[in-house]
Amino acid sequence: MTNTLQAANEGRSSRLLGHVVLLALSAVGIWALSVRFSEGLIVTHLTQHVPWGLWISLYIYFIGLSAGSFLLSTLIYVFGMKRFEAAGPLALLQALGCLVLGMLLIWIDLGHPARFLNVFAYWNYSSVLAWESALYLAYSVVIIAELYLVLRPALARRAHSGGPLAGLAKKLAFAGEAEEKAWRSKAARWMLLLGIIGIPIAIGVHGGTGAIFAVVKSRPTWYTGLFPIVFLVSALASGGALLTFLTAISSRLPKAQKLDLVRSLGRLTVGVVALDLLLLGSEMLVVFYGGIPHHVAGWHQIMFGPFWWIFWFVQVGLGAVVPILVVLGKRTGNAIGPLAIAGLLVVFGIIGVRLNIVVPAQIEPEFATLPDAYHHLRFVRGYFPSGNEWLVGLGVVAIGTWLFFVARRLLPLDEAEQLAGDHSTAAAGPPPIHAKAEGRPAAAAGHVSSGGDL
Amino acid sequence: MSRWGMRIDLDRCTACGACAVACAQENNVPLGQPAKAFQHLVRWLELLPVKRGEYPRADVRVFPMPCQHCDKPPCTKVCPVYATYRSPEGLVPQIYPQCIGCRYCVNACPYTCKYYNWEDPQWPEPMERGLNPDVSIRTRGVTEKCNFCLHRLQKARDAAAIDGKELDPKDYRPACQVICPTEAIFLGDIDDPSGDVASAREDPRAMRLLEELGTEPKITYLKERGP
Repeated sequence: MTNTLQAANEGRSSRLLGHVVLLALSAVGIWALSVRFSEGLIVTHLTQHVPWGLWISLYIYFIGLSAGSFLLSTLIYVFGMKRFEAAGPLALLQALGCLVLGMLLIWIDLGHPARFLNVFAYWNYSSVLAWESALYLAYSVVIIAELYLVLRPALARRAHSGGPLAGLAKKLAFAGEAEEKAWRSKAARWMLLLGIIGIPIAIGVHGGTGAIFAVVKSRPTWYTGLFPIVFLVSALASGGALLTFLTAISSRLPKAQKLDLVRSLGRLTVGVVALDLLLLGSEMLVVFYGGIPHHVAGWHQIMFGPFWWIFWFVQVGLGAVVPILVVLGKRTGNAIGPLAIAGLLVVFGIIGVRLNIVVPAQIEPEFATLPDAYHHLRFVRGYFPSGNEWLVGLGVVAIGTWLFFVARRLLPLDEAEQLAGDHSTAAAGPPPIHAKAEGRPAAAAGHVSSGGDL
Repeated sequence: MSRWGMRIDLDRCTACGACAVACAQENNVPLGQPAKAFQHLVRWLELLPVKRGEYPRADVRVFPMPCQHCDKPPCTKVCPVYATYRSPEGLVPQIYPQCIGCRYCVNACPYTCKYYNWEDPQWPEPMERGLNPDVSIRTRGVTEKCNFCLHRLQKARDAAAIDGKELDPKDYRPACQVICPTEAIFLGDIDDPSGDVASAREDPRAMRLLEELGTEPKITYLKERGP
């Protein structure tokens, strides 16, 4: 009894610490943002030659996370993979949060943020960016609708049980638990429909974000048909990896069930990471075999440029090879801790992928004579984010993370997970044999684990 | 309708740089603050050096590079808000109040002729009084570019209209052409087969930059004659 109390207390204090850290980082970020808005983009280290930098890298990173998470959720709601069902609500919340972060970051990057609605007022049908803006809008509608449908049964239950925020839950659910049963089959049909609409939208959202770069013929490193596909695959990898990590640290499913879920997610993730490596290898083979100077130059910049370690250590080493080994390992692949770390490594590795997509391609001059045009001592050809860029990036991510954990607590995600978990166990029959290797009977693990969300 | 293009005869060019200065003066392009970063400068007309050989036999040629006013401009294709477009007369201007500053066109232009305003423009004291009233001042946060002195076309057309005449293409002369002491820069109607620009395009010395990208640039450079 005292043990549980102690654990609860520890959980509370560490949660408090998490809130304090995140809010402090957010405050710093908001200060940096105010500097950025009052001084303009001169506070960044962007130049006429490298006009896109850290914020754009983070923007495509979060859009990728979002699209990846959403596509994973369609595995459940469209393709009926019951194994993952308990991860569904979290995947949708993650998709929404990351989408908001991505859109926030590209908005901050605009020279005239107040004019962003011009995209809809002066629509240019031939611009990928214009299409993307519309797709982001449609995509957010689909995610919010799906999230509502997924959480509705849990909302109804919460309204019925009279827990915290029961009144609000009742209003949001529109009905009690009795009507809810009748709703359930209808909701499943809607989820299927929304998922089917959502798949092309999510592919458009992230494949299209890749196309923003791929259609730029002035940058040979971007100008390849493989690019949008690489975007999609790495999006799936990062989405799956984040879902693996967040499920591992925040899910309150019974332990055996949780391990099973985390393991399935981890395997799925490294499978996609391996596919990503395959695409990377194919691109590199063609580029270096062909040896066209301006194609090679960009890749040379990525692999042997001033930030060579991002490619070798962050992108390939920690982001791909290590997680694959961890998940394939006999011991590490069957424990929640290492699997969570593998997920986190992929999540970080993909940041390297995004940075390598955006920056090195712009460092290479479009014109062979261009560097000579600026034979000035103060002219620096290259890019490293400024202090303000780092702080804004960090602050925005902190705000996003904080909002995510607040939403995670306020929304009936645990109940939804529980409901889905029961549902999937009922559908899938007894848990698979390897769950027993935990040496813990399912009945004993049946209570809510005191897992440390934050 | 005319389709405006330019020919730049590198054989006549003395690399004096007057075109770049006249361009900045005419179009209210700020000097920039060299004390800050050098790579934030805006220059509608750039002088690109081409180096050949090494030191004792080194040879540097400079060629003037304004916007190429492509017939298939990559920048107008990618602009999400239609802030840059190809006009029926073949010019590619920028609509500053519509631009959201996403810098997509800056990246898309293979000639690096699009310039983003990282700061509000500033001029040292006496220069501020010499700004051109015909050209708007661009503020921080928008992208700008050479527009072949579009306001001069408008003025020439207005002057012709007052006299009840059609525009004579000879009356439309951008600042770089007016200032050039050796008449190396010449702007005219490409579709007029008897015109100077159209005949320059047929010249054996003619070349156009990065033609292989399919941008169909409307600036024709005439290479230097042999030594």
